[in-house]
Amino acid sequence: MFKITRRGALQGGLAVAASVGAPAIVRGQTRPSAARTIRAVFHGDVPTYDPIWTTANMAAYAGGMVYDTLFGIDEQQNPKPQMVGKWGLSDDKLKYTFELRDGLKWTDGTPVTTADVLPSLKRWAARDGGGQHMMLRVKDIAAKDEKTFTIELKEKYGLVLDILAKTSTPVCFIMRKKEAETDPMQKIEQVVGSGPFKLNLDETKPGTQYVYDRNPDYVPRSDAPSGIAGGKVVKVDRVIFVNMPDAQTAVAAVQAGEIDFYEIPPTDLLPQLEGDKNIKIQVLNPLGQVGQIRLNFLHPPFDNEKARQAMLYIVKQSDYMKATFGDSKYAKVCPSYFGMGTPMENDANTDWFKGGQNFAKAKEMFKEAGYDGRPIVLLQATNIPYMNNSAMILAQEMRQVGLNVQVEPMDWSNVVQRRANKAAPNQGGWNIFITSSGGNAIGNPILLAAHAATGDKAWFGWPSDAKQEELRDKWAVADTLEARKAVGRELQANAWKFVPQLYYGQWVQPAAVRSNINGLLPVAEIIPWWNVTKG
Amino acid sequence: MAVIAETPRPAPGLAGAFGKFARRNPTIVLGGALLLATALVAIFAPWIAGNDPRFMAPTNRLQPPSAQFWFGTDNLGRDIFARTVYGARISLIVGLTVAVVSVAIGLAIGLAAGYYRKLDGVVMRVMDGMMAIPAILLAIALVSLNRASVWIVIVAITIPEVPRVVRLVRSVVLTTREQPFIEAAIGGGSRDWKIILRHLLPSTVAPLVVQATYITASAILIEAALSFLGAGVPPEIPTWGNMIATSRLFLARAPWTIFFPGACLALVILAVNLVGDGLRDRLDPRLARRM
Amino acid sequence: MIAYIVRRLISMLPVMAVVALFVFLLLHLAPGDPAAIIAGDNATVENIAAIRKALGLDEPLWKQLLVWVWSLIQGDLGKSMFWNEPVTTLIRQRMEPTIALAGTTLFFAVAIAITLGVTAAARVGTGIDRFVMGLAVVGFSVPVFVTGYLLIFLFAIQLKWLPVQGYTPIAEGVGPWIHNLVLPSIALGLAYVALIARITRTTMLDVLAEDYMRTARAKGVAPRPMLLKHALKNAAVPIVTVIGIGVALLIGGVVITETVFNIPGIGRLVVDAIARRDYPIIQGVIMLFSGVYVLVNLLVDLSYTVLDPRIRY
Repeated sequence: MFKITRRGALQGGLAVAASVGAPAIVRGQTRPSAARTIRAVFHGDVPTYDPIWTTANMAAYAGGMVYDTLFGIDEQQNPKPQMVGKWGLSDDKLKYTFELRDGLKWTDGTPVTTADVLPSLKRWAARDGGGQHMMLRVKDIAAKDEKTFTIELKEKYGLVLDILAKTSTPVCFIMRKKEAETDPMQKIEQVVGSGPFKLNLDETKPGTQYVYDRNPDYVPRSDAPSGIAGGKVVKVDRVIFVNMPDAQTAVAAVQAGEIDFYEIPPTDLLPQLEGDKNIKIQVLNPLGQVGQIRLNFLHPPFDNEKARQAMLYIVKQSDYMKATFGDSKYAKVCPSYFGMGTPMENDANTDWFKGGQNFAKAKEMFKEAGYDGRPIVLLQATNIPYMNNSAMILAQEMRQVGLNVQVEPMDWSNVVQRRANKAAPNQGGWNIFITSSGGNAIGNPILLAAHAATGDKAWFGWPSDAKQEELRDKWAVADTLEARKAVGRELQANAWKFVPQLYYGQWVQPAAVRSNINGLLPVAEIIPWWNVTKG
Repeated sequence: MAVIAETPRPAPGLAGAFGKFARRNPTIVLGGALLLATALVAIFAPWIAGNDPRFMAPTNRLQPPSAQFWFGTDNLGRDIFARTVYGARISLIVGLTVAVVSVAIGLAIGLAAGYYRKLDGVVMRVMDGMMAIPAILLAIALVSLNRASVWIVIVAITIPEVPRVVRLVRSVVLTTREQPFIEAAIGGGSRDWKIILRHLLPSTVAPLVVQATYITASAILIEAALSFLGAGVPPEIPTWGNMIATSRLFLARAPWTIFFPGACLALVILAVNLVGDGLRDRLDPRLARRM
Repeated sequence: MIAYIVRRLISMLPVMAVVALFVFLLLHLAPGDPAAIIAGDNATVENIAAIRKALGLDEPLWKQLLVWVWSLIQGDLGKSMFWNEPVTTLIRQRMEPTIALAGTTLFFAVAIAITLGVTAAARVGTGIDRFVMGLAVVGFSVPVFVTGYLLIFLFAIQLKWLPVQGYTPIAEGVGPWIHNLVLPSIALGLAYVALIARITRTTMLDVLAEDYMRTARAKGVAPRPMLLKHALKNAAVPIVTVIGIGVALLIGGVVITETVFNIPGIGRLVVDAIARRDYPIIQGVIMLFSGVYVLVNLLVDLSYTVLDPRIRY
């Protein structure tokens, strides 16, 4: 009863709303019909329009609407040209030549040229771990003319295209020269892209809704879409990113048809959605997320390898998954250092997992490590449910082994600040924090900053292991998948020995989609809205 | 009770006096009894709760109330009865501490502002400013910007209460100091602290006691709201507010996860308000008519 | 009168200055800053420091304070640290839901509360009186979010009469607009009904006991007009005072209610901004709320002259 009247009123009232809600300039414009508009709710709010400045996934979702990339990964994680038309690699494998394809235009009407591409690459590489890894091996990036540029390498390096094409943040989006020349530590002031959509600032209300209109001047590639590769053909007029932080609310909204897409329905509410014939449950990112428990190498007890190894026997992943996801088919345990379902998944050195939780052994190992009962500081992000739950379970497990755990609850913003502190745990530092990374990123030994074991220069926790670094370099130059897999096994065997981090499980997030929405492309860390149809 | 049974007509002893008091002040007695019960539950929580309120058993999640779990279990498989019992502790600690601290600080500032007229202007402007900041926002900001702890919550709730106490004390002092006996004392050269302690302080006691009960009620409420917004005491510590907050996803599926803490919260605040109303009627009939 | 208003407006300045100083120090002395959040998950310590510098957060505190206060004086609340929009624009975009929620709540609460209060006063000592007073205590004791979830459970999930959440702009039709506001207004309004009903009852009793009321009664004025016309008018002053005090309560309640019912208002704006440490937004909204509080109290004082001709400024 209510549904019908409300939806009827919504459609009837749109024109009125346009004239009242928007500034005077746009009053003449007509809004696209509801049948050509998609309203989607994601895991969070778009924090900023600059996907290089902030690495939050939501910024990349928004960036993927308006910006295009030189290359893009397809569904199988293979890099395919996107803005680039023709390209080639010299016989000595040291020089790439790229030519931009025809028809690329900024929404201000000017053509996309290499004068835009070069500063974009530079700004992105200043902020991206993968980009930095690549730049260390790059001799020179130069423009030959308006459409052609080259990347010259110092040494053989197999990951150039993978890094340009990846969807893990920050994505290598190409921006206009003007924005690309912004200090990488400062945000851009204007959103002008060359992608399939354009941001409609008049109807966007930050924190509430972000309105993206089809970019009529966009010329898609002619090949079939796959991942973020292939032709980005937009089949609706408008996509609205709606910010709706409460899960219960969003589930009710998608059931009522007020929104068309909800990215993260909680597993506890899935049965309710599965019974609804107007809704389909779809997994868009089959690799999902891998939960990480980071250990701090700088301070006792985890400066000792034995203590870190002991943690492997403490963490029972299935409990963590059950606590947050219930009896869900979407959550599983993850004994592989490179995540389950990734090309690098393997079972090297996983005896600790096969033997299951073993408190007695853990206790023994902590004793050998010389643990003296000092407090172990565990940072707990209280405003992110899976991290909050996992921290409580970890504390409980560790206490059962007789460890003196001191849980420090704070919001995620404070964890982010605190984890950067190298001081002793009782002087503002920490011993353990909990986070998660995309399965696609976990599966790549180079692209995920957390995989570095470069000590002081490594990611928070600052693991240090010379052998791991050697193996990572070896992996980067391996040129066949088989060769990479072999090195991957070695990397994992070594990682589960020096234990830079532990996992508490891996889960995929099924999305709730109205049945009349079709053509969503599965890809990790970005949700493409081209190719999607409504009705 | 046994005493009453033995003596048919209660002599004007303790029990008799209490009976009379109860008849005249039903709200104080009812509220007080509820509060006393809550306090006992809070103090003897370890013996009453039965289970460890923090113990998580994910395989037992979202069980309805049963013989084993009287109030059911929550999404992490924790015993809601045990958590509700322990939750009383935080509510009472926060409520009482905030009341005592804010009354103490407010009293000191209020007495000073009311007595030393030169201070008054500056102090009251600062107080007006603090009063203008929405208490809940101030508390959310204070708590989420710092790391969660019961003490931060107490500080965050106390700060906005202080100006209210100051205003009350100051107005009482201003009327009292006009009285001839105080003017005489000032003229007679008594020391300031003597006048303040002997003459001004006593007149503030009655209204402050009433005010303190209302502060207690509002502190319990704000703590719950903060916990609800995720900016409260550490999530490991069970509080009624955070129990409700973490359970909201399960409202349709497991309403008991919200019902029990919600009911207890409302009941305790009701009890404090009843005591407050009763005290007000007793101690300050004039104020009673005003409120 | 005008001189009084001007004097009162000037006296707002020091109050707002205290608010500004307090809020600024509160935010900038606390640990945690936006730089770490912007820098993101893969950022290094050096990245965070560079972003902090770019945001101007490494400047000495007094300098940041001066910059902010200077722009504040010019009516500029600054720009969001994360979006490109000025804070004033963001606030303007979020104003409608908040005003709608506060407005409907206040309107219905006052209407219901005065009816209850007057009824109770007219039938003082009866069961109706006791019932109203009991309701008042209970209404004041149940937290907004508890009421909110009870209402959602009952009317939205079980009975499916009303929507669970959200807000529809009034431009999209008054029907849907009201539909979305019913539950939040009830949840938020309960405490007001309690507060105002109580004060209405007691002041009515005071007024009814006054000599001129007795005279009116003796002269044979019918009970109902007497109650409404004479008594209620005289009881208006304390009632208005309570409404003024209630604004603070209302602002706090709005923040929570907007969260429970997912209403995209100013309360949500500031709660989100706190989580993200978007200082200009937090500072701006708190300044705004404080200003509203002070202004409403000024209006309340001025309304006395209208309601009670004996009061003059």
